[in-house]
Amino acid sequence: MNEPTVFDEIFARLTPDRLFNDARATGEGIAIAVVDSGVERSILEDKFATAGTPIQTIEGAVFRPTGPPAPYTGHQSSPHGTTVADIILTLAPRVKLYSADVFGPTGSCEVETVIAAIRHAIDVWKVKVINLSLGVPEHKLQQPARRQQLLRAIEEAYFRDVLVFAAAHNEHPITRSFPAAFATPLVSVDKGLFADPLGFAYRLHDQVEFEAHGRGYLGPFAKEPATSWATPHLAGIAARILSLKPDLKPFEIKTILYWLFRSTKQPPE
Amino acid sequence: MNETVLIVDDEDSVRRTFQEWLASSGLGITVFASPDAESALRIVNEHPIDLAVLDWNLGSGSDGLRLLEDIVEFQPDVVAILVTGFAGIATPLQALRMGVRDYLDKNADLNRETFLKAIRNQLDRIRPARHARALNRAATEFRAAVENVLPLVRTTAAFNDPVPLPEAVRALLRFLIRATGATDGALLVRHLAPDGTETTAAYSPTGETHSATAIPFAQSLAASIVSHQEPMVVNGAEAVTDGAVQLMPFELGRKSILAAPLPVGGGTSVVLELFDKPAPGFTQADRQLMAPAMEIGADLLRQSFAERQTSRLLFDAVDAALKASTGVTDVLSPAENPLPAAMERLKAGLAEDTNATADPETTLRLVEAVRSIAVRHGPTAVEHCVRMVTDLRKLLDELTGT
Repeated sequence: MNEPTVFDEIFARLTPDRLFNDARATGEGIAIAVVDSGVERSILEDKFATAGTPIQTIEGAVFRPTGPPAPYTGHQSSPHGTTVADIILTLAPRVKLYSADVFGPTGSCEVETVIAAIRHAIDVWKVKVINLSLGVPEHKLQQPARRQQLLRAIEEAYFRDVLVFAAAHNEHPITRSFPAAFATPLVSVDKGLFADPLGFAYRLHDQVEFEAHGRGYLGPFAKEPATSWATPHLAGIAARILSLKPDLKPFEIKTILYWLFRSTKQPPE
Repeated sequence: MNETVLIVDDEDSVRRTFQEWLASSGLGITVFASPDAESALRIVNEHPIDLAVLDWNLGSGSDGLRLLEDIVEFQPDVVAILVTGFAGIATPLQALRMGVRDYLDKNADLNRETFLKAIRNQLDRIRPARHARALNRAATEFRAAVENVLPLVRTTAAFNDPVPLPEAVRALLRFLIRATGATDGALLVRHLAPDGTETTAAYSPTGETHSATAIPFAQSLAASIVSHQEPMVVNGAEAVTDGAVQLMPFELGRKSILAAPLPVGGGTSVVLELFDKPAPGFTQADRQLMAPAMEIGADLLRQSFAERQTSRLLFDAVDAALKASTGVTDVLSPAENPLPAAMERLKAGLAEDTNATADPETTLRLVEAVRSIAVRHGPTAVEHCVRMVTDLRKLLDELTGT
């Protein structure tokens, strides 16, 4: 039998229990941008105040393909973003949440808008985590230049120590969904079902690395498993870890997530 | 193109004098001269004439006014200056009707200065009117061309119209209801105009319109589906009553919902919703069935929208062009044509005549009717009119014993 190595020692110490049960693992000090369809602020404020875990004031902006962002009025363009934000706050209630509404009243989302929101989140809001529970269909990125611009924005985030979590759109039979397909500089997330919302798994396939809990808690389709709900679960988990050590690099977070999974081998439901 | 002036005078010295005055005037006009009506009409037949300077007495029983009647047959827009020693004899109304705009009295102060002043006055009026006529002519020709094309455009649009939009998508909705075992469905269409105006309409599988609702789209179930970009299921009504969304009236009380967005784009959001599949409700297989339905429905809608948009653009362009040409006609004609103003003055004058037995409108209508006959059928027809009126008067006299 081989003697234990330092790695065995690390795996033994680095467990979800130790990390997530730490009272300081609340997301405190971590700014997260929810690049989505806006957030209905009052719904979340009321919900968490009622639950006894008041949240920080949600700020944000409404982005357009061109021109400066419009002010955030505390409203959603559609309920999707509110469900996403609710998941993050459920796992890490003390994060500072920014709503980057990239859908706006038109209900559609262009690549340029997503890029503008990502850059704003990095440069202006100085976030540590960006949650992208959305996908740009492949046909909208047929032009290499557009695809390159989106990849460049994701790479910029990586080189600015910003973690990007993106929903994989793995159910579509033909097309791929971006930016999740840019797997390397970001964390692409598939949906799974776990007994514990803090549960997740490392399952490498196609452009996907992780699975997280795919059910939400608020909204009409929250109970329907979706990558849109899995992504904020993993982002929330990362926020909890980061609140213990905010200067962790994206690759360190990825590694820690992987090691946490190895140490427990949490089976999916 | 320069204006053209025709001088008709049987006196050679007068013709030559008028020609010399015009040639040295610097007006930059083309001048034709003729000693009699016959040669004048030949010129008019071969050249466009803007202004005719006509001697009242052309000799051989012919006069300038009668010649003008004949000229008008060729060129209805011509205006004239009568040169006469008998200005008082001329019938002002008739002369005005025929296009006489000024008189020069040989017995009074006819000299180079008064002659050229009269010519300049008329040319100043002719130029804009001439320009307006050219524009009107172009607009009329354009309108005629467009009106000829319009039926063809409409026919082409009709041929290109695919299966009517509501029926095509309704058929898809009915198919999905049957295929999934749902008991009802709805199609929700929301359009956001460039000015931010939002309109939402919902249709049943049979095409009836669901009652309008004041729920903002951002708070709706359909908006949530649009953001998801994929089919979603909710089994159990409690899930949709947590305050995150508001339900449309036709969604209330549903036990289960399967919904999918049809990505149409262009400010239009379309969502297909299926309701109330008996327990255990909608399944993963139903969701998978919806995915290709999304593609088909979106293709149908996009194709239909695009073709309608093309047709609409074409119709809009044609409509705009017609309006523009009408605008040109409307704006230029009244302002540039002196006739309406002259008619108003005439009416006012007739109204002041205390001995008049008919109102000015009626008098002018009669004059207009006779003028029209003169223009179309010549002096003989006018004579016939006069005889008819005379006969009518005699008949009425006999009947009434006056």
